[in-house]
This record gives sequence, structure tokens and C-alpha cells, in this order.
Amino acid sequence: MTRDISLRVQRFDPSKDRKPADKEYRVPWRQGMTVLDALLYARDYQDHSIALRFSCRQASCGSCAMKVNGRARLACYTQVDELGSDSIVVRPMDNFEIVKDLVTDLGSFFEKHKQVTPHLVRADDSEQDNPTGEYVMKPEALEEILQFTYCIKCGICTSSCPTVATDAKFPGPQALAQAYRYLADERDEGGDLRVSALDDVHGVWRCHFAGTCSALCPKGVDPAMGIQLLRRHVLAGKGPRGPGEGAKEFARSGTGTGSEST
Amino acid sequence: MRESRLMVIQYATALIAVVLVSFHLLMQGVLVSYSTAISYQQILSIYGNALYAGFLEVLLIVVLVHGFNGVRIILHELRQAVAWAKWVDVGTVAAIVLSVAYGTRTIVLAVFGVQS
Repeated sequence: MTRDISLRVQRFDPSKDRKPADKEYRVPWRQGMTVLDALLYARDYQDHSIALRFSCRQASCGSCAMKVNGRARLACYTQVDELGSDSIVVRPMDNFEIVKDLVTDLGSFFEKHKQVTPHLVRADDSEQDNPTGEYVMKPEALEEILQFTYCIKCGICTSSCPTVATDAKFPGPQALAQAYRYLADERDEGGDLRVSALDDVHGVWRCHFAGTCSALCPKGVDPAMGIQLLRRHVLAGKGPRGPGEGAKEFARSGTGTGSEST
Repeated sequence: MRESRLMVIQYATALIAVVLVSFHLLMQGVLVSYSTAISYQQILSIYGNALYAGFLEVLLIVVLVHGFNGVRIILHELRQAVAWAKWVDVGTVAAIVLSVAYGTRTIVLAVFGVQS
């Protein structure tokens, strides 16, 4: 069966246009067509000037996050048929500046991500420079943080967060969930560092638990839960391990030479 | 003060307020008919009981701290300028102190039977 779908794309170039306006394209439907496929068809055959960001086409890179029929989604991970309508409206994500058309500026998003120190922090510098073994992790400890490692930084959670919409200094669900991911990691010793950054008037306490972040995450991550779990550590004023404690455990575990001292 | 401490105060005052307000409504709206409860004489007679007056003072402080701290949070979300944040914090403390002082004055005057 062949039919056309109506694809309305928000067009906006901040350097030229005063306000955004929708432009309609007619795209021939095909079995298994995703919204990204439809957009690329419109761009390739009807209007080369449509600006959109995409890369992997398999929900791994998070580049093609946009609002489809009013809801933030990955365009490559959304089939036209699952929308239940042949009329599709595509807009850029909320809570971000528009660079052009469907491309948003994620600069502030990644800046906030950076602020929560999204990597393991260890005091045993010499072990990291000259490794003698592995930092082992118990399976149950991995289970506690595993879902948060699936984050692809697409920005959908942050774009749908009502607190981010009103409070520009709020780190947002992605950054807070990542703070929890590293803070709860039993190999990490940077808890105090993150806690001091997040125990702020615009920090972790400003989440109102609307839950849209968890409802919309295309990877099934539950940032709202991560934020609630993060609050336990922030209330305690520290992470599960202080500086140097991980190194002592590393020495005891026998996975390395145990020569590291802090 | 760390934001986490302020939030603990916020949650604690919320829980305490639920208990105190429930008790207050029970005493003034259930055990006594509403029309009687809001009569001038009935209200004054409450203050004749020092224990109940003390209870009202605690209720006053708990509700005002919770309410103004809640407004502080909303105002911080409204704007994020440094100067604004400073004035919101100062204003919150001032509002709590002044409101508690005024409410306490009313309770003290009522307890000692002084007509204001």
C-alpha cells in the first residue's frame, strides 16, 4: 500500500527569521519508515536546507533527539506507524536554544554534565599512571548503577524537565543521574567533590519529581529515581567512599600488587 | 546553611505541621462545632489554657518556617541572579522573624488578656 504522510517541520534560522514557522512536506510512506527516514527523504528530495542532526540511526548516539507530535523522542527510534497518524509535526527539543530548524545547542547541557565530574575520581594517582591490576567491582554494586551507564546524552530528559525550563542553573536530570552513577560506584572516591557541587540552592533539591525524564528516556534510564537516590548521599554530605578508601580496598582485594599508598 | 539542611527543615516542618494542624482542627472543628469554634469568646478562652497557647506558638513557628521556606524555593527558581538570591534569603529570614514576632505578640496579648 502506498500513501503519503504529511510531515510538518519547524523551520527557523535565528540569524534571519523573527519567529519559527512550520513547513509541510509530503513524504511517501514505506514499511518500517522512521521519522528520521521521513525527514531525510524530505531533505534529500524536496528541500536541501532542512537542518537536522543525526548519526548512528540505531538509537546509540542520541544525536537525532527532537519533538515528534509534541513529545521528545529519537527520530531514528520512532517509526511513523507507531505514531498512529499520517500527520507528523516535528519540532526541536524544548529548553535549548535553536541553532537552526531542528538542531539545538547542547552546549549548556554538556557543560552541566561536566560540572558533576562524570568520571571515576581516585586518590591513587600512581596506580592509574602505572597500573598493577584492575579495579574490581561486585556484581550487585554494578547492578545498582548499571541502568545509568546506558545514558546516551541525547538531552530528551533535560528538554522535558519542567525545572530546567524555569531554573537555568538547575543541572537537569541527565547530569544528576550521572552524578549518582559515579557517586554510587564503589570504585569512586569523588563523592565529597560532587556532593559539595550539588548541595546548592539550584542543585539536586530542585527536582520536583515530575518524572517526565524517566517517562521519555529512550534507553529506559530512570533519572528521577537516580535523583532521589542521589539525595541520600547529599544528605549524608559525602559519597560512600572518602579519598583513599578505594585504594586501601584495592590493595586488600589482591587484584593489584597492593603497593599503592595514599 | 547547606541546602540539604534547609530541605530537612522543610520536610520536618511539613510532617510536624500535618500532626499539629490535624490536632488543631480536631480540637476546634470536630470536638467543638465550627460556629462555636470561631466565636470571639471561644477563641479568647483557648488562650486561657497556657498549654494550648504554647501549642499555638509552636504551630505558628512550624507553619511560618515551612511556608516562607517554600516561597524562598519558588523565588529561587523564578530568577537566578546572584543579587536576587541574596535578597530572597535575607527576605525569607526577615519575613519569618517578623511574622513569628507579630504572631507571638498576638498570642502573648491574648494569654494575658490585653485587648490589642
